[in-house]
Amino acid sequence: MLRNLEKQATEGRAEMGKEGLRRELGLLRATLLGIGGTLSAGNFVILGHAIGLAGSAIVIVVISCGIISLLTMFSYCELGTIIPSAGSEYTFAKVAYGGFTAFITGWFEWLSNMFYAALSSVGFAYVISYFVPINIPLTAVLMIIIFTIINIRGAKEVGTTESLLTLTVLAILAIYVFSGWLQSQAMSPFELSAPKGLTGAFQATAFLFELYLGAEAVAVAQGEIKNPEKTIPRAMILSSLALIVIYTTIVYVTVRTVPPDILGEQASPITYVAEHLMGKLGAVLVTIGIAIAGLAAINEAIMAQSRILFALSRDGYLPRALGRTHRRFSTPHVAIVVSSVFTIALAATGFINFIVYAVNLGFIIGFSTVNLSLIKLRRRRPRLRRPFKAPGYPILPVVGIGTSLFLLLFIEPAVLIMGLELSIIALLAYYIRMIGYTRIRLAFGGLSLGIGGFVALLAYLVRSGFISLTPNFPAITNILIFISAVHVLAGILNITVKS
Amino acid sequence: MLTTTIGMLQSVIGGLAVIFTYTLHFNFFDVQTMLNITSELLPLYSFALIVFGSFSIISGLFLLHEGFESR
Repeated sequence: MLRNLEKQATEGRAEMGKEGLRRELGLLRATLLGIGGTLSAGNFVILGHAIGLAGSAIVIVVISCGIISLLTMFSYCELGTIIPSAGSEYTFAKVAYGGFTAFITGWFEWLSNMFYAALSSVGFAYVISYFVPINIPLTAVLMIIIFTIINIRGAKEVGTTESLLTLTVLAILAIYVFSGWLQSQAMSPFELSAPKGLTGAFQATAFLFELYLGAEAVAVAQGEIKNPEKTIPRAMILSSLALIVIYTTIVYVTVRTVPPDILGEQASPITYVAEHLMGKLGAVLVTIGIAIAGLAAINEAIMAQSRILFALSRDGYLPRALGRTHRRFSTPHVAIVVSSVFTIALAATGFINFIVYAVNLGFIIGFSTVNLSLIKLRRRRPRLRRPFKAPGYPILPVVGIGTSLFLLLFIEPAVLIMGLELSIIALLAYYIRMIGYTRIRLAFGGLSLGIGGFVALLAYLVRSGFISLTPNFPAITNILIFISAVHVLAGILNITVKS
Repeated sequence: MLTTTIGMLQSVIGGLAVIFTYTLHFNFFDVQTMLNITSELLPLYSFALIVFGSFSIISGLFLLHEGFESR
């Protein structure tokens, strides 16, 4: 695997030169790409809940999130220049570890992009709902359907349009910050307060972790970037630093203008504050800006999730059907449709906070893997040519892993349970490919028999009065017997499978 | 036919268990009070139901897959 690394790096560099794209993106436009990839409508909507948790200390929370993200961004830059054909956590893990680690990284990368697409669409709907009385889940679902069709037909990944759109969004946000800053001059000095203490601040950090995700969009566009070995790391770090400034000034102005307890109740706190600062026209302007950012984010997330599913299928981890490309449009249409079906199901719930935690869980795993991959490659291949070297090795990558994992403690327990479930499914999918379908079915046959027997015992205990249920459901014994019978039969059928 | 039916039933039971877990966790329709479930025991019930639901769905899907393959 490691011997292949040099080959892959060389192929990647060669690929960068023959993609048929003109290298016209300099440092400024590459940086704008990183900023544009990160700004999403969902990010501005979730600020309300985070402000409710952290109070005016949200300013410190936003800076902390930025620093944690920056720690991993250094690792990202180094790995991105060693493996230039890639640009995703999955590829880094594949080169450094291979096997199940690579698969589980790709699996969670796919899921977190899927959750991110749902978050962006729900966030977009929330922002629009400030002015137009719309059904939020329905609007979110419609947006996903529209962008699924666009992606199947083929969307151009990078271009001048994206840089212009990012500049427009940044200009609108600059007007917002400037208005807030002007008004804050007449106010009393700013005071930091955290009504829920340190726990609330940590909860807000875990909640806002995804705020800086997307700067890696620079690596995706490497085919169009001038002198990519130097420009990509610089652009990624510059965009991360710029985002820290952008988000910090936005939240500062926001909590300075309107008290945190009022902001915590707003569906779109930025729009609310914009109306407070600049009247209806200002609110409309900010809504347009956030909506533009939201649409771009939905498109990018749908594109990213389908590409990861496609790569997992191409590498033999998932069924081949997911790797099929459309005859006419040459896009991975099956992967796009499968991913979008799950995204629609998620977006239809409209549970924005649950989706945010799910995004964060996936990216915490992804970020940890990137740092681990860097450590592994530094130890195993110390003499490998590294156009960019992550500073502070090994302390910074270890701190990056530690801080990311620490935030897991503050993620909603239901999301962690779901993560555990998804890991079990991933483990199963992997071992079905690796050790064979029949053995897994035999194991599940045994499990079904065991569950069937346990439920039968439960039914007996309930019927004989050893276990009393309050309130009493007379039909419960019959239901339990039915469940037991189904599981016993399923167990027998699974065990008697022909190999 | 038997394989498909049992697979479908098992998957549906598993799916209902997962839906019920989330209903219980988020206390939709005040189900925790209705079933007299204390907050101390809630994680245990959630975990047991999630494991049961996941295994049932996967086992059922194996049978469904076999049922459709044999047609």
